Amino acid sequence: MSTTELAAGSDKARVTRRGIRLSAAGWLGGAIILVYVLVALTGSLWAPYEAAKILTGAPFEGASLAHPFGTDNLGRDVFSRVVLGTRPVLTMTFAATLLAVVAGGLIGVVLGYLRNWVDEVGMRIVDIVISIPTLVLALLIISAVGNSLWLVVVTVAFLFTPRVARVARAATLNVVTNDYISAALARGESTLSICLREILPNITGIMLVEFAIRSAFAIIFIGSLGFLGFGAPPPTPEWGLMINEARANASNSLWPVLAPAAAMAVLVIGINLFADSLSRLIDRQGQNAATEAK
Amino acid sequence: MTTSARPLVELKNLSVDYHGDRGWSRAVDDVSLEIANGEALGLAGESGSGKTTVAYALMGERRGASRIGGGQVLFKGREIFGLSPSELTALRGRSIGFVPQNPMASLTPSMKVGGQVAEMLRFHQVAVPQGMSSRVVELLDAVGIPNPAAAAQRYPHELSGGQQQRVAIAMALACRPDLVILDEPTTGLDVTTQKLILELLAQLKRETGVSMLYVSHDLASLSQICERVAVMQKGRLLEVADSRTLFEKPQHDYTRRLIASIPRIDAPPADRLEPLPVNARTPLLEVDGLSVSYARSGFFGFRAPPPGSDTVKSVSFNVGRGETFALIGESGSGKSSIARAVAGLTAPRAGTIRFNGEPLPALARHRSLALRQKIQIIFQNPDSSLNPRKTVRSILARPLRMFGKLDSAEREARVIELLKAVRLDPAYADRRPHQLSGGERQRVAIARALAADPELIICDEILSALDVSVQASIIRLLETLQRERGLTYLFISHDLAVVRWFAREIGVLRQGAFCELGDTETTLSAPSSPYTIQLLDAVPRIGAAPVPPASSP
Repeated sequence: MSTTELAAGSDKARVTRRGIRLSAAGWLGGAIILVYVLVALTGSLWAPYEAAKILTGAPFEGASLAHPFGTDNLGRDVFSRVVLGTRPVLTMTFAATLLAVVAGGLIGVVLGYLRNWVDEVGMRIVDIVISIPTLVLALLIISAVGNSLWLVVVTVAFLFTPRVARVARAATLNVVTNDYISAALARGESTLSICLREILPNITGIMLVEFAIRSAFAIIFIGSLGFLGFGAPPPTPEWGLMINEARANASNSLWPVLAPAAAMAVLVIGINLFADSLSRLIDRQGQNAATEAK
Repeated sequence: MTTSARPLVELKNLSVDYHGDRGWSRAVDDVSLEIANGEALGLAGESGSGKTTVAYALMGERRGASRIGGGQVLFKGREIFGLSPSELTALRGRSIGFVPQNPMASLTPSMKVGGQVAEMLRFHQVAVPQGMSSRVVELLDAVGIPNPAAAAQRYPHELSGGQQQRVAIAMALACRPDLVILDEPTTGLDVTTQKLILELLAQLKRETGVSMLYVSHDLASLSQICERVAVMQKGRLLEVADSRTLFEKPQHDYTRRLIASIPRIDAPPADRLEPLPVNARTPLLEVDGLSVSYARSGFFGFRAPPPGSDTVKSVSFNVGRGETFALIGESGSGKSSIARAVAGLTAPRAGTIRFNGEPLPALARHRSLALRQKIQIIFQNPDSSLNPRKTVRSILARPLRMFGKLDSAEREARVIELLKAVRLDPAYADRRPHQLSGGERQRVAIARALAADPELIICDEILSALDVSVQASIIRLLETLQRERGLTYLFISHDLAVVRWFAREIGVLRQGAFCELGDTETTLSAPSSPYTIQLLDAVPRIGAAPVPPASSP
C-alpha cells in the first residue's frame, strides 16, 4: 500500500518511458520500505505471539529461537510486538503524511498562483504556525482534546501542512511564470482549473519527494509522541511507546529498547535513501527535459 | 600580422560522443578544422549541429556525460586532451579566452564588474605594470564602455545587456589570449546592439591580431566578421570556405538552403506566396490611446500610478480584417505589453480596444466565451507555452472542449486535422512537448491557437527562439493559413527582415510609442524616423563588406 506503491508506481512508469533508473541506494531504500509494508500487511498471520499476550516466557529473557528479540518486563514477546507494531506505525504515518501533503499542496499551489493579498495573509499564518515548536504544540493539542490514534494523525497532519504548503508554493512560483499559464488565462480558464490542470501535474514530482521526506519525519514524530505517552494508548505495540515502557528496565534487558528503536531507524533510513534517490531522479529528468528543449 | 607556418589550432578528425537516454550517440563526427594566427573562423549550424561541442572541445572541456570518440585537438601544436588539469586551467583564460552566449549568466551577480575583470588578471598572474585598477579601466575602455572608471564600480545588473557582453569580452581579452572563442555572443541582444558588438569585435581583431572562433547560427553576422566560415550539420562538417565564396557559390545543398532561408530585407524570399489583394479595409481590431503601466499603484492600489511610468504610452492603431500588422521594436519597447493587453492578460491603464467594433473588456476572464475564442495568442517560446506534462492531444483538445461542442470522436478527428493543418504527423498526438524539436513545438502552439477557430491571432515574437530555416517554414505556414482561413495577425517581432515581406502594415515602437506607422512597403523604403533608419541599418546583410571601421563613438 501507501508510500511505496505510490512512488514505485510512478517510478515504474518513468523507467519504461525514459529508461532512467533509481540509484542502487534508492533501490535498497525501496526494498526496505517494501519489506516493512509486507510485514505490516501479513504480520498478524505469522507473528509467533499476540502483541498483548503476557508471560509467553520469563520476563527479560535474552534472544533465543522461541523469542528472537527476547521478552520484556511482562514476558511479552518483543519480536511479535515489533512485527505487529509495523501496521499501526505505517498506517498512522501514511494517513498523517497524506493528509498533510494533500492539504498543504492545495494551499501552497493556490497561494502561489494567486500571489495577491490572500497569499500574503495565508503565508503569514503559515509562518506563525511554523514558528511554534512542533512538539510543544502537539502536546498542547493532544492534552487539550484527548488521546486517540486518529487525533495523533490529525495533529501531525496539522503540524506538517504549513511546511508542505511552503514547499508547494515555492514549486508553484517556478511554474506560474510559464506561458502555458498565460495561455490558459487567455483562454479564460478558472483559477481552480489552472491550479489542478496546469500547475499540479508539473509539481507532482516535487510533492512526491516531499511526501517521502515528510513520512520519515512523521515516523520519528509519532514515535516521539508515543515515547512521551501522548501517542497510542498502552497495550498498543507502537514502537515509541514500547521504547518508553522498556526504558526503565534497560538495565535488565536491552532487547525491548533496542528492537523497536532499530526497527524505526532502519525504516527511516530506508525512506530517506529512497526519497534522496527519487529527488535526484526528478532533478535529472528536469535537466534532461531542459537539454532536450535546447 | 604574421602567419606562421603552423596554424594556431588544428582539429584532426575530432569525434565527440554524448551519453543520453538511448546510450552513446555521436554529437561531433570526424571534424577537421584549422584556425590560423590572427584569423577569425565562423562556425555555423543549427541547434544540435554540434557547433558548441566543437567550441568547448577546443578548450579541453568535455560537457556532461561525453567522451572523445577519436581525433585530436592541437593548440599551438600541443594536444589539448593530453594536458593535466592544472595545465588546462593555465591555458583557459590565459591563452584561450571565452565569451559565452548569455552574459548575465556568466558574470557573477554579487561582484563588481571591475573586480571580475581584475580577477582574470590576478588569477593568471599577468604582470600589470600600470597597476590593476588602471589596467581594468583600460580594458573596459577598449571594449567601448562609456565612463569605464565608473562602470568598473557597478554590478552586472546595473549594466545593459550589450554592456554586459562588452564586459565579458573584456574579460576574455584581459590576458591577451591567442584565441577567443565566442559562443553566440550576440544572440540575446537587440539588432542595434548586435551591430555595435560586431563592430567592436572586428576592431579588436584588427588591433590585437587575436584569432577568433565565432560560433553562431546567424550566417549574416558571421559573414561580416569572419574570413572563413565552416558549416556543420548533425555533427558533420559540410564545408569550409572563404566567407565570400560561401555565400556566392555554396558547395553543399544544405548550405544553399540555409542561405536561402535567411530573411532578406533587400529581396523577397524565393518561394514567396502571391501577396494578398488589397481589399476595402474593414478594421477588425482598433486600438485607441492604449496605455499600459506596470508601476505599483501605491499602497493597496488606492493611489493612481505616478505619471510618465507607462510602458506603453497612448498607442493607437488599426488592424484590417485578413491582414497582418507588425509591431516592431527592441526589448523594452512595449510591444509585448500591447500583445498582452489585446489578449486580455494585462489590464491597460487607459485607452480602449475594439474588436469587430465592440469594445473589449480588459481582462480575458471578463470577456465572453465567443470573444476569447476569436482572439488567440501564440507565445515566443514554445518550451514555456506548452505544458510539459501534457500530450499534444490533450494540449489541443482543451480549447476544443472549451470552445466547441464536439463529442470525443469528433474532437479526436479535429486534433488530427489540426496537426495536418500545421504540417505535423498525426502520430505526434501521443507525444509530449519535450519529444518534439523547437520548430515542431511552435507548430503545436499554432495548432492550439487554430483549435479555437479564431479570427485574430496575436503572434508574440514567435520566431525568435527558432533556427532560421525553421523560421522561414513557420512564416510560410502562417501565410498559407491566412489564405486558407482569412486569419488576421498581430505579429510582434524585433526582426525587420522577417516582417518586410510578411506584414501589410507596420508600426515601429520605441519606448512605448510609435515612431513610425503605416504601410510596410512605403515605410521601409522611405523611412521618416531616424530610429527606423538606424534599425534598418543594423539588419545584418549577407555578403556585405566586413563592418567598416567603427568611427562612431
